[in-house]
Amino acid sequence: MRSLLTNRSVRPYVLLLVITLVLLIIDRGRGQFFTVSTAFSVLQQFATIGPIALGLGLSMIIREIDLSVGGMLSLSGCIAVLTGARHPELGVALAVLFGLVWGLLQGAIMVWLRLGSIGVTLGGLLTLGGLAYVVTGNLSISYPRMDVALAVNYPLLHIFSLRSLIALAAFLVAAFFMARTRVGRDVYATGSDNRAAMVAGVRTSAIVAGVFACSGMLAALGGALLSYSLAAAGGVALTDALVPAIAAAIIGGVSLTGGKGTPIGIVGGVLVLCLLSAGLNAVGTPPAVQDVVTGGVLFLVAIADAVDLDRRLFAIRRYWADLLLRRDEPVTPRQPSPAE
Amino acid sequence: MTEQALPAGVREPFRLPLPHSQRGRVLVAIRLAAVLALIAVAATTHGFFTAVSLFSLLNTTSFIGCVAVGMTFITLSGNIMSFALGVTLSTSGMVFMAVLPLGLIPALLITFAFGAAITGIQGVVIGYFRANPIIVSMAALALINGGATLITQGQGIYPEGEAAAALKGHILGVPMPLAAFILTLVAAQIVLSFTRFGRQLYMVGSNWRAALAAGLDPPRIVLGAYIAAGLCTALAGILMAARYSSGDLELGLGYDYSAISAVLVGGTAISGGEGSAIRSLIGAFIIAVCEVLLLLHGFSTQIQYLAIGVIVLFVIMLQTLADTD
Repeated sequence: MRSLLTNRSVRPYVLLLVITLVLLIIDRGRGQFFTVSTAFSVLQQFATIGPIALGLGLSMIIREIDLSVGGMLSLSGCIAVLTGARHPELGVALAVLFGLVWGLLQGAIMVWLRLGSIGVTLGGLLTLGGLAYVVTGNLSISYPRMDVALAVNYPLLHIFSLRSLIALAAFLVAAFFMARTRVGRDVYATGSDNRAAMVAGVRTSAIVAGVFACSGMLAALGGALLSYSLAAAGGVALTDALVPAIAAAIIGGVSLTGGKGTPIGIVGGVLVLCLLSAGLNAVGTPPAVQDVVTGGVLFLVAIADAVDLDRRLFAIRRYWADLLLRRDEPVTPRQPSPAE
Repeated sequence: MTEQALPAGVREPFRLPLPHSQRGRVLVAIRLAAVLALIAVAATTHGFFTAVSLFSLLNTTSFIGCVAVGMTFITLSGNIMSFALGVTLSTSGMVFMAVLPLGLIPALLITFAFGAAITGIQGVVIGYFRANPIIVSMAALALINGGATLITQGQGIYPEGEAAAALKGHILGVPMPLAAFILTLVAAQIVLSFTRFGRQLYMVGSNWRAALAAGLDPPRIVLGAYIAAGLCTALAGILMAARYSSGDLELGLGYDYSAISAVLVGGTAISGGEGSAIRSLIGAFIIAVCEVLLLLHGFSTQIQYLAIGVIVLFVIMLQTLADTD
């Protein structure tokens, strides 16, 4: 069981299975959970969280973290809504372009100054959030094209929509690049051991800048499509998207120590979160329960990935062994007896 | 961070083109120039140097200041920031309002215990298991938010009676929140500068392994930093709840971001081990002055958000440019 839970590529899918079973049991055959509409809403949420989680996950694979995605999500939505009234494609393109430029800028600052990503992207998060307030004039702005909003969300093949298909396509492209190309290998090398990668000839600066550019683009794409589908945009609370995205990436097997995790794993992580939220909704629990469950899962995974976990568990086990054996002195390593 | 020789062909990171010994001085000069410029703008702004505006400035700083002082402990301990301090503030205010019928002193004690427990649990996980502080604080944010919403059904808490009135009054002509903040600041600075815990905190924050090798107990010190942060935040929560005579989840919205902005603008290093509570006060004050100046010059509130973001980004870059490592 422990190996199932610690194998990073399998963990999210095991969780997915467990959650499905639990929700089926809670549902007790009333058919509120196991429906086409649940699948559709899971994929709709997937389209919202997925791209951000992918960008964040990629930045975590190179042992950095892109906190600015939350701000990018709201600002890119504003850009798309403000510029895309006549040509929706243009709005998305501008938003993604902005994401690319901003991501490159952040990456360049990090490489140029060799500065930690948390500081830079925290500043980026605050700046982007501020920009979102400025371009919207502190109001919620609405998108006049209801036809686009409907088209983006219109069910295709019962469970998909244009939005979720775009998100899935982004994951497929990322999975291909990470698994099959040299760039992907270089990304893992940069994350596992930056210095060794550098010595081996990997252009780690370019990889860092590129990953942050990708992260910015993905967050912008997600934000633009989300705003189209809501037909509105505004400067929303910044951590709203950040918490589930980080949770999804970590559940999906990405490690903060870098070099671990795959886009396919992240898909699993996002699906776990979306299924939890949609499933709990379907069986009629209040939304706050989803917060608690997301937080609880994130908390447990954070502990499971903690650096000193094994050491502390060992200390605790030894302490209990001492208590159970009623020994006065701590357990000493067993001396080999002459018989052996 | 250990400095090793760079592999051949890799460029040094860009730093100010000055000898190491002078970079620190240049940084101080730039900071002084920025503060002087701010004062100059303030002096030429009609209506800034009035008693009323300065007084309200001090008052607004006191809430963010308390949280920023708490955040300083976390940042100094090498754990960057907590995303959960804002929600800790809100829930502390709610707990305080809920237990106020028991009397003022028991309510204060319960609330402080609550704040210390909430951040203390995170401190245990971060200190003893060495879990990632950002992730743990985000998990805590979601857990506390969800839990509080479930318990209160999303309602605010409005106490009966006026037991909290004592917290709205003045001490020696100073409003209560400001007095409490100054007291917290002085206490925090004394703890940081003159106690063993404070000095150990700096050491753990600048180098965990060195602290361990020197025989310190880094997990315990990190736990202490988190408990201190919880106490400061609980105080802010109590004062805010008393001021608005109610406790709800909106109370501390965005306070984590304001606090970390104040800490960083004040010049406390994001990598830990360098900084002080006084610096966070200066940071909070600079941000508040900037906001008021922008407002007096007719800029809207949204420009203020943007300005704070840009200032934080700039300060982080400036700090690194003048890095003496």
